[in-house]
Amino acid sequence: MSGRSTGRFGRRRVLGSLAGASVALPYFWTRRAEAAQQLTVRTPGGAYDEVKRATVYEPFQKATGIEIVPVAATVAKLLAMHRSGQMEVDLIDTGDDVLLQLDQAGALEPLDLKKFKRTNPDDIEATVKHKAFVGSFNYAMLMGYHTAAYPKGKEPKSWAEFWDIKAFPGPRTLADMASGAPDLEFALLADGVAMDKLYPLDIPRAFKSLSRVRPAITKFWDTGALSAQMLADKEVVLAALWSTRLGVAIDKGAPLGAQWNQNAVLGQAYGIPKGSKASEAAFTFIDFSLSPEIQAAWLKAYKAIPVNQKAYPATSPELMDPDTKVPWTKSKGYVRDIVWWSENRTKVNAAWSKWLAQ
Amino acid sequence: MTRTTTAIWRDPGILIVPAIAFLVLGFAVPLALFFVETLREIGSFADIVDEAVTTISSRAVVNAMFTTNWIALLVTLLTLFAGYPIAYVLANSDRLRFTLILFCIIVPYFTSVIVRTYSWMVLLGRNGIINQLLLGSGLVDHPIALLYNKLGIVIGMTYVLLPYMILTLYAAMKAIDPSFLRAAHALGASRTYAFLHVYLPLSAHGVLSGCLIVFILAIGFFITPALMGGPSDVMIAMLIERSVEITLDWPSAAIMSLLLLAVTLVLYAVYYRVTDVRRMMGT
Repeated sequence: MSGRSTGRFGRRRVLGSLAGASVALPYFWTRRAEAAQQLTVRTPGGAYDEVKRATVYEPFQKATGIEIVPVAATVAKLLAMHRSGQMEVDLIDTGDDVLLQLDQAGALEPLDLKKFKRTNPDDIEATVKHKAFVGSFNYAMLMGYHTAAYPKGKEPKSWAEFWDIKAFPGPRTLADMASGAPDLEFALLADGVAMDKLYPLDIPRAFKSLSRVRPAITKFWDTGALSAQMLADKEVVLAALWSTRLGVAIDKGAPLGAQWNQNAVLGQAYGIPKGSKASEAAFTFIDFSLSPEIQAAWLKAYKAIPVNQKAYPATSPELMDPDTKVPWTKSKGYVRDIVWWSENRTKVNAAWSKWLAQ
Repeated sequence: MTRTTTAIWRDPGILIVPAIAFLVLGFAVPLALFFVETLREIGSFADIVDEAVTTISSRAVVNAMFTTNWIALLVTLLTLFAGYPIAYVLANSDRLRFTLILFCIIVPYFTSVIVRTYSWMVLLGRNGIINQLLLGSGLVDHPIALLYNKLGIVIGMTYVLLPYMILTLYAAMKAIDPSFLRAAHALGASRTYAFLHVYLPLSAHGVLSGCLIVFILAIGFFITPALMGGPSDVMIAMLIERSVEITLDWPSAAIMSLLLLAVTLVLYAVYYRVTDVRRMMGT
């Protein structure tokens, strides 16, 4: 570079930027000092926060004056924060399986739902209440299909039919180990195991069953975005994917359908980490976001099923079974056993690698 | 101030101290701490060796290392064959053409890898543009598999890593004195002969450094193979990520990372020996 061009980044410029930084510095300091008015929450980010900002964060700030600051952190990062004794988030909003792992590592404060002021703890589904974390909504791992390949009514009606690659041809996708858990339950259901007899899972039998559908699997998906993208692009015509992703894609006009038979019920949940600098505000936020009105507004937009049963009347109609008037997750699903998964994930991971190499 | 201290402050080498300090404090120390802490979890030294042997000789890791090296090798060769002519043109162009070509190389280089990978997925899919063109022109009667297999990974990674190869080759070619070629022509060498016997050998160290840098980057790749690969195309970085994030098995993640780090450092040592860093910087 010539001597002239360095002049553009010369002393005057540097001094100018330094002056600018020193003007901005007190601003950051004051923001830190007012930390009591902020609640740092680990969230999945992206579209999730967009919906939640309008329906939960902003109403919460109006009601309490506390600002929600969403941040990204993976389970590994949260665990590392806990181990190093520097918890940088005040509240964790993530999958219940992840919160269980954190709880087993001793990273969570116990929760006493009886101290709720806005929400009646008895309205909350019993299956989502745990010692140190509580569900915020339910969703499902379910069968999705492309309506150009299978018009509504002609799609597979069970996992056994999904596994029948002769009667229902076409490329498929299932969850990868990297998504957290491969679809061993669906493999067992396809092999004739009853929905209430799934756990403890018979791992060798599940993989044997997975081998039967493998020739039709284009790719195992590792992120929710990829699963919905592959189905919408018709890279695959049948998929096991998350109901929230599928619901949002259908809402945007993608020609896709949902088959709720034998769906796996999954849960999003809240937990307060040990070392949270605002555990009281975090508890108030949990209370607030589980109240019926907030659940209704938020989850209607996010296509998920409330954990507060008082919010059922306001749930999106496509998430409700018209015959039984309860959510599909209750009428046609089974709850994924997160305790079994946390105890067996390492074993499944090893079996998964071995199976892929076959 | 004495004369000697003034001399130290005047040495331009002092300018690199903040960068080195940043690297040591922000990278080397945390990395070492991570390995020490995590490996200590396993137990005694004998336990660590035992665990390392079990992990590294497991079928998953052996397969992943094989896939990783094979893909990295293919990508390196493809970037070399695609990059050499481009670098040659770049090194022998006038100002306008040079700027134009450089612009085309640099702009994608600054675009996010995720965005570029998703764009390739749109192009290569079963219903993607390329397959639609092939089907429409009647060249094939059903879509060909360009995505979710090794071919997809190799296409995606070759594209992402091409700029590294071109820029390294360019640096080497720029240092070749054009009068050598003129001398060869004057002595009766044909264009091909002069290229093969004068230009190519002079650019060989650039070829070697380019290949090494691309190979080093390729063996640690994660996003592109994770998105574009098929079910059994598991590279070592994907296994490490799964151990860290899904099974929370940090000791085996640490062992796999150490393995990857060791391979990378060995390659880097070779790179350091064959590459004259000063010449690359053009000083």
